[in-house]
Amino acid sequence: MSTAVEPSISLLGLEAWAERPAGPGWLRELKALALESHRALGIPTTKHEEWKYTPLRGLTERRWTPGEPGPAVFQQELPRHEPNSVRVVLVNGRFDRNLSESGTPSPVTGEGAGGGGLTAKSLRDALTEDEALVRPWLGQVRPRTTQAVGREIKPDSHTFAELNTVVFEDGLFLRLQGEIAPLVEIVHVSTGEGQAFAPRVLILAEEGSRARIVETYVSDGTGPTFILPVTEVIVKEGAHLEHVRVQDESPESFHIANWQTHQAPRSEYHSYNVCYGAALARVDQGIWLDGEDTVTRLDGVVCASGDQHIDNHTRLDHAFPNGNSFEIYKQVVDDRATVVFNGKIFVHQDAQKTDAKQTNQALLLSPTATIDSKPQLEIFADDVKCTHGATVGQLEDLPLFYMRSRGVPKQQAEAVLVYAFAAEVLELITHEGVRQSLEKRLYEKLGVDLT
Amino acid sequence: MLQIHDLHAQVADDRREILKGLSLTVQAGEVHAVMGPNGSGKSTLANVVAGRETYEVTRGDILLDGESLLESEPDERAHRGVFMAFQYPVEIPGVSNTYFLRAALNARLKAEGKEEMDAMSFLKHIRAKVQLLGLSNDMLSRSVNEGFSGGEKKRNEIFQMAVLEPRLCVLDETDSGLDIDALQTVANGVNALRSPDRAFIVVTHYQRLLNFIVPDFVHVLMDGRIVKSGGKELALELEDKGYGWIEAEVGATA
Repeated sequence: MSTAVEPSISLLGLEAWAERPAGPGWLRELKALALESHRALGIPTTKHEEWKYTPLRGLTERRWTPGEPGPAVFQQELPRHEPNSVRVVLVNGRFDRNLSESGTPSPVTGEGAGGGGLTAKSLRDALTEDEALVRPWLGQVRPRTTQAVGREIKPDSHTFAELNTVVFEDGLFLRLQGEIAPLVEIVHVSTGEGQAFAPRVLILAEEGSRARIVETYVSDGTGPTFILPVTEVIVKEGAHLEHVRVQDESPESFHIANWQTHQAPRSEYHSYNVCYGAALARVDQGIWLDGEDTVTRLDGVVCASGDQHIDNHTRLDHAFPNGNSFEIYKQVVDDRATVVFNGKIFVHQDAQKTDAKQTNQALLLSPTATIDSKPQLEIFADDVKCTHGATVGQLEDLPLFYMRSRGVPKQQAEAVLVYAFAAEVLELITHEGVRQSLEKRLYEKLGVDLT
Repeated sequence: MLQIHDLHAQVADDRREILKGLSLTVQAGEVHAVMGPNGSGKSTLANVVAGRETYEVTRGDILLDGESLLESEPDERAHRGVFMAFQYPVEIPGVSNTYFLRAALNARLKAEGKEEMDAMSFLKHIRAKVQLLGLSNDMLSRSVNEGFSGGEKKRNEIFQMAVLEPRLCVLDETDSGLDIDALQTVANGVNALRSPDRAFIVVTHYQRLLNFIVPDFVHVLMDGRIVKSGGKELALELEDKGYGWIEAEVGATA
């Protein structure tokens, strides 16, 4: 690897990061390629189409240092959505054995009932111990280029994902086999003012497996942190995975994430992107449908207030026939907050009989709140059903008056209506514990105690 | 209980005056029917009492137990015992009837400085009302009015009234859009709630509801004012002769 200071990395003050040791040879090659890409892409400005509405000044104005290991013990309780879950914890991007459920040096395994098998371990260990499983997928879960009616459908570039590949040292390797009965919780905790973290998560849902996972990001509020996580998910043939992602970091945090999923034939992937926290948050979610008869959900709930800026870019590639996809984004924007949504759906030339539905709705609660919404459907097959709809609105007077005329105070009535708006997505989450805890957080965020 | 005195009200948006000096006194235990042709201001009266912000009161006053309602927010009016059954009940997807009513009832208890009802005693309370009105339990878990038929929506209004136990009930054209069976169910509900310390104002265009909810007084509203008052026989006369003869009578005395 080059020891020269990379301009984009130095822009973030992270020179030292690029010089850290890199692990096995194949990984060093991967990192070298990622560095080249990242160097070419740099840190985007609003001149870049994909970053038009999300200026990164707040991020680049600060000096960041590569993340240090966090404390062994936390004062505050770490998030848990369900008492009987299997929980693994990553502190400052590093897998924490002591805070993770088994508490033993061996990987967390065999917790699943019904013959299911669960492996959750440090990615750093898995790089060597499970090379055969990890190497084919790490950094490879992404769309490819295909040809369609005289043009090329290209994957998007993700400069921060490349940066994660360059600098990540650890993270989580999660392997799901058979039916996993308990909820699997992945908790990312960030702490340490001015530090940057790059956790890497690789989730392998093996053939025919069934599981529900929730991945939660929190920071402890002791000062700004910057996390640039990458999560890669492989849903193999016939597997069924529900994946809830919760970003609930403290209001001065920076969060720029990349989340890529690969779906094999006859697989189902139900994903929910819940965004409550951070000063600046950007999630790029991509799903590549690599086989026939797939079912996909990519839904989102965004609740932004104060000066928050929350940006979600989703991209779904229907590359094979008979794929069904559903996407609903519900976005609540208050105060001076800004929310950005860009939803791309590519239906490739071979993807006949695709059925894709996209809806995104925003509720503006203040005159200074902003929403930028861009559905983007590109269809190269002729026998498909694709619909999309985007609406932006305010709370309606009549339901508000109706509730108040029954005695519900104004603030509570507003919160209930906002909640009902967002709940349409939260209600789709099948795990009751997760759904209830997310509903409770939403109420807290709306400032109303409705217990 | 209720005194409306020389009430003038206009539409806030375009300042069109609808109520032009309306006066009405209602005592506890009484049922007053307010009838009148379309556009006479019947619904405006109901909405102004409930505190709808699309109307502005420009003159006069509404007193409940001797104290003005006009400065109170809609929710505060509800806490003071005012209830309006809507002509077009509003659908609120994602909010269950049970949750909605518990929030409403507890807000009032809180405003009265009383202890809020826990989930168990609340459930007991509403089950009793479901029984009293002969409704089905599945109404409780459904979202407020979502996908309800016209009749179900009106029944739900009466159900809410039964649960919240208001002192002044204003029924805004509750009979509109109902077939005769649904009308009877709704009327039976109202009759079950009649009591010496509760008053009703029944706003209606047609007399037929008054066959089932028999009023103590009937008032005719025309062009924003009550132009004639009488007993229940006045409603029959209106049914028989229409509103024209009153118009003529008012015209003659004016």
